[in-house]
Amino acid sequence: MSETDHLIIDDAIWEELIELTGGAATICYQCGSCTANCPWGLVSEETISVRSMIREAQLGLPLNTANLWLCTTCAYCEAYCPRGVTISDVILGLRQLAWHDRETPPGSPSLLWSVYWNNNPWSQPPSHRSIWAKDLELHYYDPAKHDVLLYIGCTSAYDRRAQMIAKAIVHLLRAAKVPFGVLKDDEPCCGEAVLSLGHRQYFQEVAEHAAHTLDEKGVHRMMVISPHCYDAFKNQNHFLDKRIEVTHYTTFIADLIDTEKLDLAKPIDGTVTYHDPCYLARRNQETQAARKILDAIPGLKLEEMERIGEDTLCCGAGGGRMWMETDPGMRFSDLRVHEAKATGANLLATACPFCLTCLEDSVKGDRTSGLIVKDVAEIAALSCVE
Amino acid sequence: MVASLYSKESEKKDICIFLEHRGAGLAPVSLELLSKGRELASHAGWTLTGLLLGYQVAGAASEAFDYGADRVILIDNPKLELFTVDAYTHVAYQIIDVYRPGIFLLGATMDGRDLAGRLAVRLRTGLNADCTGLQLDVEEGRLVCEVSGFGGGILALIEMEKHRPQMATVRPGVFLPSKMSAVKSGQLIRPEIEIPDEIIRTRVVERVIGEGVDLTQAPVLVAGGRGVEGNFEMLNDLAQLLDGDYGATRPPVDDGFVERERQIGQTGVVCRPNLVIVCGISGAFHFVVGIQEAETIIAINSDRDAPIFEYADYCIVGDVHEIIPLLIKALREDRVAERPA
Repeated sequence: MSETDHLIIDDAIWEELIELTGGAATICYQCGSCTANCPWGLVSEETISVRSMIREAQLGLPLNTANLWLCTTCAYCEAYCPRGVTISDVILGLRQLAWHDRETPPGSPSLLWSVYWNNNPWSQPPSHRSIWAKDLELHYYDPAKHDVLLYIGCTSAYDRRAQMIAKAIVHLLRAAKVPFGVLKDDEPCCGEAVLSLGHRQYFQEVAEHAAHTLDEKGVHRMMVISPHCYDAFKNQNHFLDKRIEVTHYTTFIADLIDTEKLDLAKPIDGTVTYHDPCYLARRNQETQAARKILDAIPGLKLEEMERIGEDTLCCGAGGGRMWMETDPGMRFSDLRVHEAKATGANLLATACPFCLTCLEDSVKGDRTSGLIVKDVAEIAALSCVE
Repeated sequence: MVASLYSKESEKKDICIFLEHRGAGLAPVSLELLSKGRELASHAGWTLTGLLLGYQVAGAASEAFDYGADRVILIDNPKLELFTVDAYTHVAYQIIDVYRPGIFLLGATMDGRDLAGRLAVRLRTGLNADCTGLQLDVEEGRLVCEVSGFGGGILALIEMEKHRPQMATVRPGVFLPSKMSAVKSGQLIRPEIEIPDEIIRTRVVERVIGEGVDLTQAPVLVAGGRGVEGNFEMLNDLAQLLDGDYGATRPPVDDGFVERERQIGQTGVVCRPNLVIVCGISGAFHFVVGIQEAETIIAINSDRDAPIFEYADYCIVGDVHEIIPLLIKALREDRVAERPA
């Protein structure tokens, strides 16, 4: 006779999870929509059973970490959850437990240490944070002189490719004569990388420090480049003074076009398709601003992919996956490039440094695509005569 | 702060090196440390001691003399055949307590780091980890350790004022090994130290020697990207000639030209070699973080505007398939010329 394993229910885990996730898992009634909708099902025969992870969490069963780190926190499952469970919060809560047991992916402690020592998750020297702008003569933010703080973020500050986004935004702001400043080497990390790996406790410390710095500098309005930093400041950082208005740069630039402060006059001949970043479209329902900018460019035609707006498909880099390896054949960005190709576009636009990296990697891997990947800001800057 | 077990006043003017052995001979890092230790000791008028733990490793002692040791303390015991941190700490602690060296150095290897941390706590002394330079202040008898921090942005010089021994682990490949020109012999000391069974809490069940790919330890790296078009044999030839190893960016790994263990970058291995030759790699940021702390970066790329050139110390604009064979040929000819007739 075979014996079934006994279920061992751990009340301590249960209580801890409720505390960590604000009880998010308790309302799940196990319909399985999350499992069916998870984009991992698009790249593998076996989907991740998000439902069982939630069930195990509900029961307080010992942690099964196998699939825990695959989640990109793209929140596609949340959009389809009939009970409104904030599933990625549950997953991040489970990751927090994994930190207790030290069952985290290789390299993730180094990422946390890098934020601690270097104020960025990329192991880059803090003193190099503003080197990207050395020829731009940017002004240090002064609330008396500047309308808005341009928050660069770690990736756009250090990644040579992503630096081009920041440079394009500077070009646009100058063309529109917006008085803006930057915090140069004093710019604090938003901590989103830490949060995405589930270390909420340390995230709180980073968030508090960031909020304190922004407060000290007298910031009342900030424009953020990465949707990940944007979400961290707008929705996750509870220390931030509520009076500070946080805007994503696409919204800000679209407003400049609306109010006729920015004129995108130089025609760009071509067809563009736009990949919505999850952290902008799904987490913050911002889907129109980028399209408005692309639409304002003479000659440029927008062709939409199959999955757009709040239905967008993740590039694969959220939830800390930017710092983990994804096997070939399992990369969402490959699918996305395939979809982009099908629109007949020659330009693939996005508005997130992580999406840009992944999509560009996938385009390089697919020599037939003929696509050029650019950030919306870069395309707008090409069309903007200063 | 707790005082160390012995003080500066009771130290011996001696630099002691923890000797690691691999097969027949000493590990490269041990030879490097002996050579640097000899230089420091001679300059200050100190002695240089090697601490050799193992089983049937007496042969390695003579190699230590060749590289400048005045004496070697050898503990030859079957229980020390394979490294266990319990047994090694137990023995090293007792030796240090008796011989009281002013300085105790280890290689920043797997075993060296493991042993150093535990030993430092037991001796109540400090430990400078992963040093990239050593100086000895002769007057004060103080070891000045160079440690690079904050992603290489800051170089810290760290001294230990009162605590002894002054312990440090040193990054492999930092110092050059140099053999003594004259034949040198030294004193071999073989103290008796008992190793009770109960202190060893680990049991070696099986020892598996893998392919041995560990790019983090290679002093010279040749890295290839998409531009190499799968010709990693060529890169390996070059790496072998330079006593190094070869690695790759993600695309050649994805395409199956190279195994995943050789992937360099944010999601692969982060390396700090003395020299890296970057071939046919455009320089995406997530690759660059894996090599930017190398001492010297040479980049070869046919695209003059490739971002990799911004990080490189030497930039070669050209086709890797032309340049590397020429480099290999030149190195081979050089080797032949060097060989005594």
